[in-house]
Amino acid sequence: MVAAATAPLPRGATGAGESVEIRGVSHAFRLRGEPLPVLDRVDFRVEPGELVALVGPSGCGKSTLLRLLAGLDAPAHGSVWSGGRLVSGPDPSRVLVFQDPTLYPWRTVRDNVALGPHARGELKGARARVDDALRLVGLESFSSAYPHQLSGGMAQRAALARALVNDPRVLLLDEPLGMLDALTRVAMQDEILALWRRAGFTALLVTHDVEEALLMASRVLVFSSRPARVEAVVPVELAYPRDRADPRFTRLRRDVLDLCMRASRARSPA
Amino acid sequence: MWIEERSTEAAAIEPVIAADDAPPAVRPPVAGVVAGAAWLAAAAVTVKWPDLEETPHTSTLAALQVAIGLTALALSVGAPWLRAAGRRLRVAAPWLLALALWVTGWQLATAKLGLLPRPFFAPPQALIEVYVEDWRRLLECTAHSLALLGAGFLIGGLAGFGAGVAIGWSRAAAYWGHPLLRLVGPVPATAWLPLAFFVFPSSRSASVFLIALAAGIPVAVLTWSGVAGVKNAYYDIARTLGASPRFLVLRVAIPAALPHVFVGLFMGLCASFSVLVVAEMLGVKAGLGWYLSWAQGWAAYVNMFAALLFMALVFCGLIALLFAARDRLLGWQSGLVRW
Repeated sequence: MVAAATAPLPRGATGAGESVEIRGVSHAFRLRGEPLPVLDRVDFRVEPGELVALVGPSGCGKSTLLRLLAGLDAPAHGSVWSGGRLVSGPDPSRVLVFQDPTLYPWRTVRDNVALGPHARGELKGARARVDDALRLVGLESFSSAYPHQLSGGMAQRAALARALVNDPRVLLLDEPLGMLDALTRVAMQDEILALWRRAGFTALLVTHDVEEALLMASRVLVFSSRPARVEAVVPVELAYPRDRADPRFTRLRRDVLDLCMRASRARSPA
Repeated sequence: MWIEERSTEAAAIEPVIAADDAPPAVRPPVAGVVAGAAWLAAAAVTVKWPDLEETPHTSTLAALQVAIGLTALALSVGAPWLRAAGRRLRVAAPWLLALALWVTGWQLATAKLGLLPRPFFAPPQALIEVYVEDWRRLLECTAHSLALLGAGFLIGGLAGFGAGVAIGWSRAAAYWGHPLLRLVGPVPATAWLPLAFFVFPSSRSASVFLIALAAGIPVAVLTWSGVAGVKNAYYDIARTLGASPRFLVLRVAIPAALPHVFVGLFMGLCASFSVLVVAEMLGVKAGLGWYLSWAQGWAAYVNMFAALLFMALVFCGLIALLFAARDRLLGWQSGLVRW
C-alpha cells in the first residue's frame, strides 16, 4: 500500500524512544456522584523503543491509561514517568492517535498534518518535515483534500502523519485501526510496524484484537476488567515479519485469548 | 460509519468538468422558447386590451415585457453557444413562464377587468410609475436603512460573537453571562423600543442599539452552542501537540463553531430586518420602513406595494451576500444549504 519501509523519515527524526513507567497508578471517575474505579494499582515499565500491546475487555480502562500517559489527565494515585521524568501535562514528545482520526474538517490534509508545528509556532521551519510525513504515509497527492473527501484508511494515515511529524519519542495508539475494514487494517498494521522499526520510538498499542497485538508487539499486557490491573505479561519472542500460520503464533494466540477470558471473568460483577 | 461512504477516493476529488466540455446539446431549449413567447403574448395583452382607466405607463410595461420575451428567445436560440447563460436560462424557464402568467393575471384582475378594489390593489404599470417618478426617494430611503442596519448589525454581530465565544469557552463568563442571556434573550428587541427612544439621545442611536440587540442575541446563543459543542477530542489532539489556550480558542474552537455562527448571523440578520422596519415606522424619520408608513398615511397604496417589493429584493440580496461570505469561509463543509 505504502512504501513506508523505504520512504525517508521526517527530517530531524532522532529515532530515540523513551522509557515509559507506570508506578502504582489507581484512578477513578465520578459517575453521578459515585466514584467509579477504573485503574487498580497498575505497575509496568516499557523499555525505550519497545512496542507493547495492551489488551483487555472493552471499557476496562486502557484508554484512560493512555490519557494519563499523554498527560491529558492526572492519576488519582501513583505516578506516570516518561524518559525518567514525571509526566505533569501534555507534551509533543508523547503523541496520542485515537480510534477516530479526529482530523479537523476545516483544515486540508496538509494543514491537519502541520497541526503540531502550527500549534507550537514552528510552522515556517516545518514545511519539509510536513512534506516528508505526508510522503511517509502515502498522502502527498491528497495534501490539499479536505477530510470529508478521504476514506477511513486515508484519514487514519493522515492522523498518523500528524503524530509522526512531531518526531515523538512515545507514540500512544488507542485502537488506531479499530474502525477500518479488514484489508486496510492488515495493510496499516504492516505500515505502523515498518514505521516503528525504522523510527525507533516507543509505542503503546491499545487494541482488543489479540492477533493484532501478537503481530506487532514485543510484549502483550493483559488487563482485567474494570477496575483494570495487569493480569499477565506475555513476551512475544518471534521475529518480524510474523507469520499468522506459525504454530508458535497460533499457540500464543490461544494462550492470550485464554488469559483474556480469565481476566474478564476475574472481576465480573456477578 | 460516515468515512466509509467516501472510499471512492478519486471520484470524490475529481471536479465535475464533463458538462462544460461536452459538445453543445442538439435538443432545442423548448422551455426557454415557450417562456419567451409567453412574455411576448403578455405584452400583446397589455397593449391590445384597453385599460379601464387611462394609466400612463402601460406602454412602458409592454416594452419591458417585450424586452424580457426577446431576451429569453435570444438566449434559448443561442443556448448552445452561451454555455453558462444558456444553462441558467433552462433552469429559470419554468419560473419565467409562471411570472409571465402571473403578471398577465394581475393585470387582468386590476387594470383590465377591475376585479380587485381599486385604490388598494394597483396594476403592475402603476408600480412602474412609482419607480419612475419616485426612484430618488426610494434610493435615499434604502441608503438610510442600509446605513442604520449596517451599524446595528455590525455592532450586534461582533458583540454577540465575542459574548458567545466567551460564554462557550470560559467558566466565569458562562457563570455571569448565561443567566443574563437567558433573561434578556427571549424578550423581543421591539419590546425595548419605548425605553430605548427614551434613554438614548437620538432616535438613530436608539435604533442602532435595538438592531444590535436583535442581531446580537441569536449570534451569541449560536456561537456559544457552537463553541460548547466542539468535540473534546479536538482539544485533546491540539493539547498533546503543544497548543496554547490562545491557539485552542482561535484555531480550534472558533473554526469548529463557525457553521453555528453563520446560522446565528442569518437569524440575527432576519431579526434585525424586523426591528429596523419597526424602528423606522415609529421613530426614525427616514428609511424604507418610514416610506411604508408614510405611503400608508397618504393612502398611496401603490407606493406601499412598490416599496414592499423593493424591500424584499434588498433584504434578499443582503442574505445572499451573507451566504456568499459563508460559502467562501466554509467551503470545507459538505452539504451546505444554498440560498
